[in-house]
Amino acid sequence: MSQPHALPANDHSEQPGLAVQALSLAHGRHPVIDALDLELPPGKVTAIVGPNGCGKSTLLNGLARVHAPAGGAVLLDGRDIHTLPSREVARQLALLPQDNTAPEGLTVTDLIRFGRQPHQGFLRRWTEQDQAILDQALAAADLDDLADRPLDTLSGGQRQRAWIAMSIAQQTPLLLLDEPTSALDLGHQIEVFELIRQLAGQGKTIAMVVHDLVSACRYADHLVAMADGQILARGAPSDILDPALIHHLYGVHCDILQDPADGTPVLVNLRKSL
Amino acid sequence: MSELLIQHRNIAANLVLAATLSLAMAMALALGTVSVPLDGLWDALLGQGNAMHRFVVQELRLPRVLAGALTGAAFALAGCLMQTVARNRLATPGIIGIDNAATAFAVASVVGTGISLAPSAMALGGAATATALAFGLAGANGTRGYRFIIAGLGIGAIAGATTQVMLSRVAIDAANAAFPWTVGSLNARSATAVSVLAVGLVTGWIAALLLGPSLNTLQFSDPVAINLGTQLKRVRTLSLACAVLLTGLAVAVAGPVGMIALLAPELARALSRPGRVPLTASALAGAGFMVTADLAGRLLLAPLELPVGLITAIVGAPYLIWILVKPSSRSLT
Amino acid sequence: MTDYACQRTPESRALVPPLPVAVFFALAAAMASLLWGAGPVGPLEAWQVLTGSGGDEARFVVMELRLPRMATAMATGLALAVAGALLQALTRNPLAEPGLLGVSGGSAFAVTLAILLGASSATMTTLVAQAGALAGCSLVMLATRSRGLAADPVRLVLAGATVTGLLLSLTSVMMLADQRAADEIRFWITGSIAGTSLADLVAVLPSMALAGVLVVIVASPLAALSLGERAAMGLGHRPGRIRALVVVSVALLVGGATALAGPLVFAGLVVPFIARALAGPDIRKTLRLCLPIGPGMILVADTLARVIGAPAELPLGVITAMLGAPVLLIIVRSGRIPTL
Repeated sequence: MSQPHALPANDHSEQPGLAVQALSLAHGRHPVIDALDLELPPGKVTAIVGPNGCGKSTLLNGLARVHAPAGGAVLLDGRDIHTLPSREVARQLALLPQDNTAPEGLTVTDLIRFGRQPHQGFLRRWTEQDQAILDQALAAADLDDLADRPLDTLSGGQRQRAWIAMSIAQQTPLLLLDEPTSALDLGHQIEVFELIRQLAGQGKTIAMVVHDLVSACRYADHLVAMADGQILARGAPSDILDPALIHHLYGVHCDILQDPADGTPVLVNLRKSL
Repeated sequence: MSELLIQHRNIAANLVLAATLSLAMAMALALGTVSVPLDGLWDALLGQGNAMHRFVVQELRLPRVLAGALTGAAFALAGCLMQTVARNRLATPGIIGIDNAATAFAVASVVGTGISLAPSAMALGGAATATALAFGLAGANGTRGYRFIIAGLGIGAIAGATTQVMLSRVAIDAANAAFPWTVGSLNARSATAVSVLAVGLVTGWIAALLLGPSLNTLQFSDPVAINLGTQLKRVRTLSLACAVLLTGLAVAVAGPVGMIALLAPELARALSRPGRVPLTASALAGAGFMVTADLAGRLLLAPLELPVGLITAIVGAPYLIWILVKPSSRSLT
Repeated sequence: MTDYACQRTPESRALVPPLPVAVFFALAAAMASLLWGAGPVGPLEAWQVLTGSGGDEARFVVMELRLPRMATAMATGLALAVAGALLQALTRNPLAEPGLLGVSGGSAFAVTLAILLGASSATMTTLVAQAGALAGCSLVMLATRSRGLAADPVRLVLAGATVTGLLLSLTSVMMLADQRAADEIRFWITGSIAGTSLADLVAVLPSMALAGVLVVIVASPLAALSLGERAAMGLGHRPGRIRALVVVSVALLVGGATALAGPLVFAGLVVPFIARALAGPDIRKTLRLCLPIGPGMILVADTLARVIGAPAELPLGVITAMLGAPVLLIIVRSGRIPTL
């Protein structure tokens, strides 16, 4: 597939890049992803989409070194991520996994403080700078009023914002999110997606697994469509999305319109058979 | 600012626990068949005043109280480490069968099976063996999930049976002498084992504190912990090694004193702020529990002495059952 | 259809019919328990006694010591195996075992308390043991009603193990407090059938027979209950009454076995596990297989207890724990713990 959004290499030269070369991932003996190549466009939001079980979450966990590769490598700034000290990686790359449970009674501030842990030395002094970053993260996620509330008393959307705030406090140029809006209602979904866009506006490179194709098209600059552990298409949503791809991915037929407000693709007339 | 708050809450918790421990120790020094008045206690500790009191406090009670505090702290710290690594409040060394295995090995060295290693070394070996077995039998899930616990239950049963086999094969006097130790008691302690435990406790405590930040991240799911830069395998292995060291050495002193590893971290968690694994607080709470339980064992049916392990079991069992019956607590995997 | 021949029922999968083999196993174990012992009477002398010759001493050992002991072992094994199978079917938990769940512990505790208070006759002991088992069993049923324990086989076992530990601790306290009681039960409390007389066995037999009748009555309804409470009601059964009958049978059996042999852990786990593996999920077939396997297993364990440490004897409870714990591990290793 073509890569219309391939960016000049020197454009974001100060950005650490995340790429995979011939990456294979497996669950036990079952291969999920075989010899996959991918590079995240720097400073952009990449959405990974595909049907259930296509390996998109596995790929994201592979990118975040949570899932060790069966072959190939994940390269952070050209270096194999598994050879780098884990703490150093944690200063470059933040992951927000899908199922987030926190200890009972943990407050929003307590959670965000964990984001500073990769930056703290052996004696772990909490500096004024750490505090400033914590306050920034609270403000960025619009959590000032909830700072001292225990997580278990928050709504789903607020809790997810708190977790994103922890990633913000981690101050990494790279941010990976696994279905950041699953189990959220429409209002909370938009709240979270807008926060993600805002972070991308500050120059972060973001990759997220998104279940809902329409939201992926609206909020991502770059779409990676996966099926059966393979990348079927990659590029700007409006460039690559067509009825054939949809059918390939999900086995359904549809028509594609342009949203009159911002020109993003919208799926209509969805049906199982023609 | 909020950093200070966290520090304050946890420092306050530790202070309260330390004060309680001191009080328990003072009571344990003062009370017994010969009661020492509290103002005479200080003199006796400093080697002054009434000769009888001096002897009772310095020679009889102080070593026992110190041994109690050390073993309690070691059991509790080991429990706290194990619970954190396994992400399961029930996964204490006692339930995993480590206590029983350490006892079996230590008894083997006492009853004269031809193995002449010191009880401390033997108990350590037993604890390590049980942990390795439970780990191996639990399969791919490692310390996670219930397989680890059930495997431990089986190992504990085998170890307990082995202890009984050994005790049934020695002279009845030797078996009777070893009996209090098999339920957990401070009567049979050896001075060497206590000193070894003191060194081990300090080592284990420092190691645990160094692991602290990483252990804190284990309260989240694996991906989150990895994301925060924690090397899971290393932290788990080191923490388990610490727990094995502490449990083994403590068993060598007092036998398998159950439930302290469960109760003390619970109390410490309740007092401390969430988000941090309460290592020091657990150790302090465990020491306090042990000293109090041993005192109760000496006083309740005096002049008959109840082994401390019976007291902790009778106090702890209802609490454990309550944990199990209480529906769906999240921290129970 | 080429694979038609592969569709076989569990019974026909076995190369040999399990029931006759199990019966043969039990008979062989019974013979072995008569021939081997801790004392100086060897297999050859014992055989001579059985064939009508042999010396007076050998005759005394075989007929007065080993024979009653063999009978006791058979009764104990039978009772524990059937009780285990019933309890597992009732709680739908393959780990539910009278020893692990605290039923035997309750029984032992009650007996210790009774001895402390001065009871001494065998009939009295049996009744007290059964009352204790009934209390323990009712506690288990109550526990399975709590939300935390019902759904989770392992939690139930942990709770049971805790109750057992608590009861044993309390029993130990009583033993410390009363030297006479301690001497009387020191060996029994670790599980042993050494030195039991036929009188002890006779005291237990009537209640065991009653339990047997109850089991025959309740087996079919219990099999229906395994389809679920609603389905059983649809088939015309009353789940509450089935449960009550099973609880009473288990209490009678475990109490009787405990009165004879002390609290034996794992005996009720191993035998039903093997029986179920051979017979399939139907509780009636499992029970039928438990009848020979249970006695056979305890006979083997008791013979081992006598032979391994000869001339001293090991407590029977130690042997059952050694045999049972690996089975526990096997059940856990076999993937997800299946619910029955």
